[in-house]
Formats: sequence, structure tokens, C-alpha cells
Amino acid sequence: MPKRSPAEQLDRAISELLSSLKARRASKPSPSAAKLTQFVRALHCLPRPEFKAALKSDLQRRTTMNEATAPTPAPAPTPQFRRPGFNNIAPYFCVNGAPQFIEFLVAAFGCTELMRMPMPDGRLGHAEVSLGDSIMELADANAAHPPRPMTIHLYVADSDAAYASALQAGASSVYPVADQHWGDRQGCVKDPFGNVWYVATPKGWVPSEAGIRAVQPFLHLHEAHKIIPFLEAAFGAEALGVAKSPEGLILHATISIANATFEIDEAHGEFQPTPFYLHAYVPDTDALYAQALRAGATSVTAPYDAPYGDRSAAVIDPFGNTWYLATFLGAGQP
Amino acid sequence: MAVRRPAQKPTPQGADERLLVEAAQDDLSKFDALYELHFERVYYFIFSRVQDRSVAEDVTSEVFHKAMANLASYEWRGTPFSAWLFRIAANAIADHFKRANREPQSTGDPDDENIDPNPSSNEWKVIESHVHFFRVVAKLPEVQRRVICERFIEERSIREIAGRLRKTEGAIKQLQFRAIQTLRAQMGDRHA
Repeated sequence: MPKRSPAEQLDRAISELLSSLKARRASKPSPSAAKLTQFVRALHCLPRPEFKAALKSDLQRRTTMNEATAPTPAPAPTPQFRRPGFNNIAPYFCVNGAPQFIEFLVAAFGCTELMRMPMPDGRLGHAEVSLGDSIMELADANAAHPPRPMTIHLYVADSDAAYASALQAGASSVYPVADQHWGDRQGCVKDPFGNVWYVATPKGWVPSEAGIRAVQPFLHLHEAHKIIPFLEAAFGAEALGVAKSPEGLILHATISIANATFEIDEAHGEFQPTPFYLHAYVPDTDALYAQALRAGATSVTAPYDAPYGDRSAAVIDPFGNTWYLATFLGAGQP
Repeated sequence: MAVRRPAQKPTPQGADERLLVEAAQDDLSKFDALYELHFERVYYFIFSRVQDRSVAEDVTSEVFHKAMANLASYEWRGTPFSAWLFRIAANAIADHFKRANREPQSTGDPDDENIDPNPSSNEWKVIESHVHFFRVVAKLPEVQRRVICERFIEERSIREIAGRLRKTEGAIKQLQFRAIQTLRAQMGDRHA
């Protein structure tokens, strides 16, 4: 019988100790195992780093609230929590070749370039484009932010025309435009950067008064139903129109966070999960950051006042998506 | 009847701690420093009594919120600030057990049922030893610390951790082994 390595022997002992702790068995360890037992017991008491960070953030928020409710001076309320123009949950694309990606978006879907921030080497540190009422953000990928192809649902005035111009701009067809049974005239393309675009025009149904956003991230997930309770607990999200299969799998759901929406479904066929970068404007970044950590998210960046005038934070959800939370501090803020 | 023991002075903060408390009383945004100083201490005090992570988190949260809300009424009387936090914690734990309508988990000390806010000198040593231990864990190399948290806090199997960190099971076992060795070396006999 092969001899176990010290690492394997240790893991075996740890597994047994963890099982006995879980079962609350009070077996007396041998003298040689006593020290390890104490270590395992002590490690079992470790506080979760996410909890420590979330509570700290919560306390800081309370401090701010106390100051805000102090008799004098009363600070002016933030007029709105969204940066003007950000009506949607904005996908943040990290791609190799951001300038070329902007060219594609303009040529394929008629996006309008709003801004770009080039770096000395010509790569883009940040850029924004708009489409209808929505904004998309992008940057050149780097080691910390590698490329992540995402899937986006676009509502355009003429999906046939958008599909055709996307192919002309270099995209490949996933499926051609057709009248879909859910009431959209929709096709699907994959761009040269790996992103998948559902291009749709409502047909046979009328959007509500609030309308539909031109750009909606579409997340294909394994066990998609499990993300809903997380999103509710973390971001106060609301699941709208959840359609399930007889087996309980999510066929389609629209999720609303602070009145901006994105879509999810169960991963299937070629539409498999890819982690997203998402930028969501929320009324209180500090509160949602703390809530998200309590719900099981991992902290990337604790809340801070970003130099461009947002209160910003970032977390990774249990499905691997990175959420950039932001609250617009108002014009004239740092 | 529980014997109320006088609080021992386990930490060398003394005058420095008093300055931190006074600074936070003047400006609540400076409560952060007290939180960083005492979080592990309060958490362990609570966890050792409730033996449940979720309850420990709820009660710890309640303690710090109450402490911050009542900081203005705190008067420095020469005992460590943590003794005041433990008093709040003892009340919060008692409230929790009342709500849960059950007795606390026994940790071997019959006084526990009374939730004595004043730890014995021996328990002070145990608390401080754990505080030191938690801080040593926090200083482990990132990947080792992650493995320790996944294994002992989240109670994931080696296979699950390997999947999450995209490493082989053997690599995870090695990281766990190295982390434990580092902790042993840094703690010496302190935890024995």
C-alpha cells in the first residue's frame, strides 16, 4: 500500500476532526492529535472575512446617516442616484482591442460613442457608448480584468436591419431573424470579440409605459433559480415574470434592480455561463455592498468615493459575476 | 449563582485605548479603530458561547451597533473597553437565548448559563490567544488563507475547493499543509 504524503495524512486527520465537530462528538483525541484538534477547533471559530468587512461598512454607513440626521448642517439630498444617461444595468466589456470594438458597435448597431479615455500605449482605460436609452461601457482587457465575452439582449427599432449590419461589421450568425413565439422578431449574432447579441424588435406586444431598455445583459446560468434568492437578499432585486420548466428550471426571468433590468435563464446548448462585468447604479452603494456580502458575495473593493463623482464598490457574486455598484453623488461632487 | 469576577486587564492598550474611545466619542467616524481593535475579541467571546456561526454574526452585529449608538454614555473607568463590549454581548446573548427559548450550549463552565460578562483570567488568555490566532491567519499568503477559509469556515471539501480555485486536489492539500505549518510555527505553544 503506497505511503501517504504528510499533506494527505494531515488532510485525512482534518477531515475526521471536522466531521466530529459537525456531529458535535466529544471524542477524546490521542495525545499526538490533541494539538491538531486544538488548531482545527480554533480554525472552525474563524470569523468570515466577508462578515467583518460587511459589518464595518454597515457601521460606517450608520455613522454617515447619524451625521446626515444631525441638526446642523443638513446636507443637500442627492438629487438622483444614477449618473445621467445610465438607465440600464450597464454591461462592462473587457476586450482585446477596445478601439476596434467601438468601431464594431457603431457600425453594427448604430451605437453613439460618448467618451474614450486612451492610455499612453493607445489602449483604452475606459470608454462609453450609448444605444437608445442605455449605456454600455468597455475597456481594453488586462491581467486583472481579462476578456469576458458576455451575452446582451438589444431592443432596436428594426432587428432585421441591425442583424444585417452586424454581419456586415464582422459578426457571425448564431441564428437568423425570425418571429419568435414570445412575441419578438429576433435574431442572434456573435461578434468578433466573442460576445453574443440577441437583436430584437417587439412584435405582437406593446412595451409598458416605462418601456423596455435598449440594452439588457442576459446571463445564462447553471441552476439559474439559485441566483434569484441571492439577488433579492443582496441587492433587493425583484424577479419579474419568471417562467419555469416542469422540472423547475428557469426558462426565462427578468430581474429588476433599482428599476433597471437584466435577464437570466438556465444555461443550455451553446449558451453556457460566462461571468459578467456589470455596472449597476443603486440608491445606497454602502448599504447594498454590506447586504451583498451578508448574502454571500465576495468583496473586491469596499465602498469609496471615486474621483469621477460616484460612491463605488465592487463584489463578486457566487456565480462569478463582478458587480460594480455605484451611487451618483451629484454634479459638482469630486 | 454566578460569581462575578473582576475584569482582568489582558491587553496592553491602556492609555492608547482611552484616546481611541475619546476620539470616537468626539467623532463617530473614528469608531472604525475601536472596531478593528476589538472585532475578533467580541466575535470569539460570542461564538464560544453560542457555537453557531450565523447566531454569532447576528449577535456580533447587534453588539457593535449598540456600542456605537451608546458610545456617548460610556465612561472610562480604567477597565478595558472590551469589558464594556462583553457586557453588551452578554446581554445580547441572553436575549438571543430567551428569544430562541433554549439553554446555551455548555462549554464546560456552569457559570455560562448566566452569561457572565466578566471572563475569568483563564478565559481572557483563551480569548487573547484566539484573537492572536485569527490575526495570524489573516496574514497568511492570500491563496493559503483562501484555502483555510474555504475549508474551515465554509466547510468545503478538498474537491470543492479545488474546483473553485481551479487547482488540483493535491495542490489544495499542499496549500492546506503549508498553511497549518505556518500557523504552527507562528503560534508555537501558544495554542497548545
